[in-house]
Amino acid sequence: MKITLFCLLALLMVVPSHADTHTKDTLVIGKISHNPKKHYRYLKPMAQYVADQMTDLGIDKIKIRLAKSKEHLADLLVQGEVDWVTETPVAAAYLHDVAGAEILLRKWKKGVAEYHTVFFGLSGKGIGNLQDLKGKVIALEDPASTSAFYAPANELVEHGLKLIRLNSARDKPPADSVGFVFSREEINIATLVHKGVVDAGAFSSDDWIKEDHLPAKYREDFEIFHRTPNMVRALEIVRHDLQPEIRQRLTEILLDSNDNPAALHVLRAYQRTRKFDRISEDQKKAVYNLRNMIKKVDQAIGW
Amino acid sequence: MSKLNLFLLLFLLSFSLLAAQPVDGNPPNRQNGHESQTGNHSLLLAQSEPLSNRSVERDHDTFTSTRGGVEIVSSDGEFFAIIGGRLLLDAAYYDEDKNSLGNGTEIRSARLDMEGRLFADIIYELSVDFADGDADMKDAWFAYDAQHPWRFILGHFKEPFSLEELTSRKHLTFMERALPNALVPGRNMGLGLQWYGEQLSLAAGIFGDDFNDDSDDEGDEGWGVSTRATYAPIATERSVVHFGVSAAHRKLDDEEAYRVDIRPESHLTDVRYLDTGKIKQSRTLTMVGLETAWVYGETSIQAEWMASNLERDDDTDVEFSGWYVQASWFPTGESRHYKHQPARFGRVKPLSEQGAVELALRYSTLDLTDQDVEGGNSDQITVGVNWYYKPQLRFMLNYSLVKNDEFADADGDLENEDEPKIVQLRAQVDF
Repeated sequence: MKITLFCLLALLMVVPSHADTHTKDTLVIGKISHNPKKHYRYLKPMAQYVADQMTDLGIDKIKIRLAKSKEHLADLLVQGEVDWVTETPVAAAYLHDVAGAEILLRKWKKGVAEYHTVFFGLSGKGIGNLQDLKGKVIALEDPASTSAFYAPANELVEHGLKLIRLNSARDKPPADSVGFVFSREEINIATLVHKGVVDAGAFSSDDWIKEDHLPAKYREDFEIFHRTPNMVRALEIVRHDLQPEIRQRLTEILLDSNDNPAALHVLRAYQRTRKFDRISEDQKKAVYNLRNMIKKVDQAIGW
Repeated sequence: MSKLNLFLLLFLLSFSLLAAQPVDGNPPNRQNGHESQTGNHSLLLAQSEPLSNRSVERDHDTFTSTRGGVEIVSSDGEFFAIIGGRLLLDAAYYDEDKNSLGNGTEIRSARLDMEGRLFADIIYELSVDFADGDADMKDAWFAYDAQHPWRFILGHFKEPFSLEELTSRKHLTFMERALPNALVPGRNMGLGLQWYGEQLSLAAGIFGDDFNDDSDDEGDEGWGVSTRATYAPIATERSVVHFGVSAAHRKLDDEEAYRVDIRPESHLTDVRYLDTGKIKQSRTLTMVGLETAWVYGETSIQAEWMASNLERDDDTDVEFSGWYVQASWFPTGESRHYKHQPARFGRVKPLSEQGAVELALRYSTLDLTDQDVEGGNSDQITVGVNWYYKPQLRFMLNYSLVKNDEFADADGDLENEDEPKIVQLRAQVDF
C-alpha cells in the first residue's frame, strides 16, 4: 500500500507539468454573437473544413468561441483564447485598436464585397439632403450596428449636424439637432418611416433590396436622399501573434475555398459567403480608421 | 507489489491522466496563456484604451435567453438546450345536416418540447403532448450532425413525406391539415438520412411502426422505407418556387390489416366520415406524393396530390388518392416563410405592432373508395382568416363546407351524403 501511496503522490506532482507540456492542437474561431445557436451553425462547417487541412501543422481541431460583446472578444484575443475572428469592419477596427488583431482577408458576406448606408424617407416630404433632417427624427437600428448606426451617425456628424437620442419616436428634437431612435430591426425602421412616425431611416444598401427588411410596397413610396461611401462588408481577422505558418495556411485555405467545389456548402453556411480576397494596405487602413469614426460618434452622442 | 496495489496504481494513473485533460477540450496552454499574451501586448494596450487584465469572466461561459421558453447555449456552441412548448385552444360549431358532430371546445395541443446539442455533433429533440390527458410522445430522436450538410437521425420522427405533413402544426395556414393527409405515414420509429444543397433537399429512412403499437400483439411489426426529394429553384425571403416528390413503401405487420379514416378537417368532432374499415389480408402499401408551393410576396399557393396502392393477398390492389390546393394572401404585407434547408414552411413574422392578417382558401378532396372498399369520398372548401398578433401568438378562424358522397358513412355507422358546415376558432401560443 505504501508503494501505491508513493506513486499517487508522485503522480499528483507530475500532473501539472504534464498539462503544461501540451502542444497547440486547437485553433479557435471567434465571433460576437447575440444568437449563438445560429452562429454556431454558420461557423461549424467552416471550422471543420479548415481543421481538415491543418493536421500537418499540428492542428487537429478547430473550436468555436462565441462572445457576448466586442469587449469580451477583445479579451479572448489578448489572452490567446481566440485565434481567428469573422466580423464586421467596425468590430474589426475595434479589435485591432484594443487587441491588436489584424486583417487577413475580406469576406464577401452574403455575396457582396462592399456596401454602404442609404438614407431614405417618404417621397415628396421635402427631405432632399442631410441638412433637411434638422429638427427631424431618423430611425436607426441599434448601437451595435455598423451600417444602421455608426455609418449614418458619422455621416450626420461629418455634415455638421448635432445628434440627440430620443426616448420615443414621437418625441421632437431641438430645431438645430437631428433626433434619432433605435428600432432594433430593419423592418421596424421601414415601418416607422412608412407610417410617418419618423421622418427618415437609414440602413445598408443590402437591406434596401431585401424584401423582408423593406417590402416592395414600402420601397415604392420611399426615396433615397443620401448615400455614404462604400465600406468593406466583412472581414476575416486574426490575433497579431498567431503563428506565421498557421496564419499563412489559413489564408491559403480560405482563398482556395473560392474555387473548391468541396467548399461550396461550407461557404454557403458561412453567412452565404461568395469568396474571400485580399485587400490593399490602404483598404486595411480605412477599416482601422473606422475606430476613429466610432470614437467620434460616441463622443458626439456623449454616451 | 500485490495485484490490488497494481490495480490501484493503474487506476490512479488513468484517473490522473484524465484529470490532466482540460474539461472543455481546450489545450491547457490556452488556460495558461494569459500572462504571456498579455505581456506581449502591453505596449499596444498602453497606446489604446485600457484592456482589463482580468481573466475571462465565467458568466461569459453560457448564453441564456428567452423568447418565452428557455434557451441556454455554451460559449463554444457545442452544447445547447431549449425548453419550449405550445398551447392550442380550439372551439368548433357544427351547422349539422344529417349527423350529430358535437359542438364544443378542446385543448388541441398542449406540448412541451426540449431540444438541444451535445458534444458538438449530437442533436436531439423530445416532445410530449398532454392534450388528451395522456402523455403522447411526438418527436423523440437524436441525430449525428457532424458531416454537414448530411444528418443521420434515429428515433421517433416524421417520415419524409408531404410538405404539409412536415410543416409544423404551429405554422400551418389552416387549423387542420387537408383531407389527403390521411394517407401520409406520419411519425414512426426509424433511422433516417437527410441532406440539403443550395436548391435541393433529400431525405430518406427506414421505419418500423409507431413505437407504441403492438402492445398487445406478439406478431412482428410492419416496416417500410420512405423518401422525399425537393427542388426550390427560387427560395428567397419573399419569393419561393418549390417542387417535391415523396414515395414510401411499407410491409404491413403480421395482422395484415390496413385502415384509413379521417375527420372532416376538424379535430373536435370524433366523427370520421371517411373510413375504409379494416382491410384484411393486406400485404404491402405503396404511397407516392407530389407537392408544389409558390410564394410571391404576400401571395402564396400550395398544392399536393398523393395516392396509395394497397396490395392484398389475393392480388387485388386497391388505390386511394386525394389532393388539395390552397391560396393565401397577407393584406398587411407579410409573406409566408419558407425554410429551404428542411424544405417546409415556418413562422410568419408580423411587420407591424398590430400584427399580420392572412386570408386563405383551400379546396381538398379524398377518395377512399375502390373496388370492394367503400371508404367514401369527401370534398371540402375552407375559408380561413389568421391574425398573427405576435410571431408566437395567433388566432385562427376557419369556415368549411363539407360534401360527402354515398359511401362516406363512417364504415356504416353514420348517414351518408352528409353536408355539414363547420366554424372553428383557435387561439395559439408557442414559446
